[in-house]
Amino acid sequence: MTDAASTHMAPLEAHWGGGAAPFGATWQKTMMWIFIVTDGLLFSGLLSGYGFLRQAAGVWPHQSQVFSIPFIALMTFILITSSMTMGTAVTAARLGDRRKALHNLLFTIVGGAAFLSCQAYEWSHFIHEGARLNHNPWGVPQFAASFFVLTGFHGSHVFSGLVILIITAIRWAMGKTPAQGVEMAGLYWHFVDLVWVFIFTLFYLL
Amino acid sequence: METTGNPYRVYRVTWVILLIITVAMLLAEKFHLPHIFLVLFLCAFMMVKATMIAGNFMHLRFERRNLAVMVAAGILLTSLTLFAFITPESHHVRKLSAPPELPTATEGAHEK
Repeated sequence: MTDAASTHMAPLEAHWGGGAAPFGATWQKTMMWIFIVTDGLLFSGLLSGYGFLRQAAGVWPHQSQVFSIPFIALMTFILITSSMTMGTAVTAARLGDRRKALHNLLFTIVGGAAFLSCQAYEWSHFIHEGARLNHNPWGVPQFAASFFVLTGFHGSHVFSGLVILIITAIRWAMGKTPAQGVEMAGLYWHFVDLVWVFIFTLFYLL
Repeated sequence: METTGNPYRVYRVTWVILLIITVAMLLAEKFHLPHIFLVLFLCAFMMVKATMIAGNFMHLRFERRNLAVMVAAGILLTSLTLFAFITPESHHVRKLSAPPELPTATEGAHEK
């Protein structure tokens, strides 16, 4: 390697050669972000698959004739509101306001439980109308399959997020979780909200 | 992170903007826009919402730029590449699954 090249590489190596934090974040936060990227790619694959199926089918039922869009809007409102309370909990935890952090964690848990209840109601209603993975009354088999796979994967993420939040709230109340623990739980919860933004638009509105 | 002023204000403001955008998206269909404009409108607002959630709720705009670029480019570029490669294939599948065209009466007579 020439002198010029080695001079150029020196700061790069100091930055990425280990023992440093190239992203300016703790390893926990860096790993959480890497997990979020990989999980985001899972949903990216699912949504691309849905786009493929929809285009290949040619015809597609109009969503407003199948779903209650105001009800889906209510679910969106619940999830966005729970993200707001989660953000408040993270900041309160960082500032050392334990009471405010706990209250907002509990609000978030209530929001998550309400969202899951709405989703369970929507699924039961959809199944009651005759929707199955391989057929449905609206004539395009891929329609119900896309619905079950997309909302099912998202719902499973909401459920696991809810479990993480309950554990975090209990540990936070006992003083066993640092502020960073609340922040990690918050990152995951916001990711769940982020995914819903795409599902809501691409599956329910378009 | 911002330390001046009310530290919780950013979440409330973001929440209000997200709700306004969501209502605008729900009402968009009522205006009977051409389909392509409706799709562009909804996709643009979807991206604005995603950016606000990632930036303000997940604090990505307060993180180092290389972390934000890794997340945004990692997910967006992969998604766009994936979609760009499989979309043309869906048209091919649609053509294959379409019922074969029946011969017209004149063609049938010609064969006889």
